[in-house]
Amino acid sequence: MVALRALRRLLDALYLTGGIIAAFFLMAILTIIVLQMLARWTGNVFPGATDYAGYCMAAASFFAFAYALNHGAHIRVSLLLSALGKRRWWGEMWCFAMGSIISTYFAWYGVRGTYWSWKLKEISQGLDATPIWIPQLAMSIGTILLAIAFWDNFARLAFAGHHNIEAEGLKSSVEDV
Amino acid sequence: MEQLLPIGIFLFVLFLLLGSGVWVGLALMGVAYVGMELFTTRPAGDAMITKIWTSTSSWTLTALPLFIWMGEILYRTRLSQDMFRGLSPWMAKLPGGLVHTNIVGCTIFAAVSGSSAATLTTVGKMSIPELRKRDYPETLVIGTLAGAATLGLMIPPSLTLIVYGVTINESITKLFMAGVFPGLVLALMFMTYVAIRSKLSGDYNPKPEPPMSFGERVKNSRFLLPVICLILVVIGSMYLGYATATEAAAFGVIGGLVLAASQGSLTFSTFTESLMGAVRTSAMIALILAGAAFLSLSMGFTGIPRGLANLIGSLELSRFELLMALLVFYIILGCFLDGISSVVLTMAVVEPMIREAGIDIIWFGIFIVVVVEMAQITPPIGFNLFVLQGMTNHEMNFIARAAIPMFLIMVVMVFVLIAFPELATWLPDNIRQRSG
Repeated sequence: MVALRALRRLLDALYLTGGIIAAFFLMAILTIIVLQMLARWTGNVFPGATDYAGYCMAAASFFAFAYALNHGAHIRVSLLLSALGKRRWWGEMWCFAMGSIISTYFAWYGVRGTYWSWKLKEISQGLDATPIWIPQLAMSIGTILLAIAFWDNFARLAFAGHHNIEAEGLKSSVEDV
Repeated sequence: MEQLLPIGIFLFVLFLLLGSGVWVGLALMGVAYVGMELFTTRPAGDAMITKIWTSTSSWTLTALPLFIWMGEILYRTRLSQDMFRGLSPWMAKLPGGLVHTNIVGCTIFAAVSGSSAATLTTVGKMSIPELRKRDYPETLVIGTLAGAATLGLMIPPSLTLIVYGVTINESITKLFMAGVFPGLVLALMFMTYVAIRSKLSGDYNPKPEPPMSFGERVKNSRFLLPVICLILVVIGSMYLGYATATEAAAFGVIGGLVLAASQGSLTFSTFTESLMGAVRTSAMIALILAGAAFLSLSMGFTGIPRGLANLIGSLELSRFELLMALLVFYIILGCFLDGISSVVLTMAVVEPMIREAGIDIIWFGIFIVVVVEMAQITPPIGFNLFVLQGMTNHEMNFIARAAIPMFLIMVVMVFVLIAFPELATWLPDNIRQRSG
């Protein structure tokens, strides 16, 4: 039990850390864009600014996937699930099973893609000439985090009967679009 | 189409995954995988990751989290209180009275936020109790709020338009500009409806407002003026070609922070809340976009888009007939899917059709936004209805019925757009492009 609780704390800390890292990348996007504008106004150039902002965008997304999942931010069509009523557990099991499988597939290729970029020494096509595996690390880590989060919730649902995701939809209304 | 069976399986998996409640982004990925396995011998996973990496690490996309962040910052300021206090003195004289604060308030907040629910809560938080106090008819209060909040999706910055622009590779600035006039026209149509309804219905006698001098009115709206300035800077800088959409969004975030700080509502906790809120929402959209990127790759191999475009071509539908068919299609789709998902899910198929029929792709962006906006106020999953239910404790039925006139006005708006396409195309055609 103690080990389980420690694991729980560790995992939750992991997702939150992902979210915080993503937040820093979001601020980095803002910083890069401001610097680029300043450079333009003062007649300088900030080579590769758009590429760096793009990498930060990817990092801000990938690192936050798991964090967003546990906050119920990822949307889904819940019509059928609500219609299931008491049998909703089975529907949720199916969703988390599919989610776990697909996110694991995503993570597998997320890591593989980064590995090959490193192996083949791929360089960005843009002005920045960054070895592409460095920004792609965010993709590897982020997709692994998402897969862990799905298996975590799947296991909780299977053994404890409930998942870790906060009530979706209405809790924070800013999250729709 | 000799490959009917695999196409059947592909569509079945699509409906199964999406309909059973698998998260939209992952569901799209799953379907795309099945499509790749059925229709091509290319290794699905490696093709997927290349495509997803290119689409997620895109410069154009950076406008998205920044605009979300800007909305989140202003959502946490005192804007909600100021909005009602600042607008009501100006609206009191109009026929229909203070119900107009709902519509004008939504229009203003729509210009700082790309989300319809955020618009709804910000404006409704103050206006619902205030209007109730003054005996305005409840259906009108609820209905106009539900309808006008959808302007959040049309008036720039609009998250749906960013996603649309990224999906079809068109300029986001142009799309934003295209949304300005249709958004204002729609707001005017809502206001006209309120005015007419107030004249026609007998039970429309809210408590009158105390008269207020010009000076007092200005004093009351002094907190609103900075927000309006911010809007002008953000939209103006794009229009005049000083800034790209992303740079305008950066202005917006910084302006929002300054504004919040000057009001004293910028604390460490509101700052982090707004930041984390933006992180969550943009991650949500990014996951859908990642899934959609893979799906559109896979869709290309299935031959469905080309097949459908040919089919439509052979039917020799007029543009109007095609648009009507799409209108019905999107209204039905909108009953089950949110706006962004509907757009990314269908664009791979619809884009070739539209280009084939010679319909302006920027104009079509506005068309599609109006149509998915309608979905926000139609049951079973109209999101605005849920939000309003949470805010007012009315039955879903009551709210949905109150919103019906707004839905009809939006249908009229679709026809106005078709009759006067210049509404959407004039402004983007006249933007000053920055050289280089």
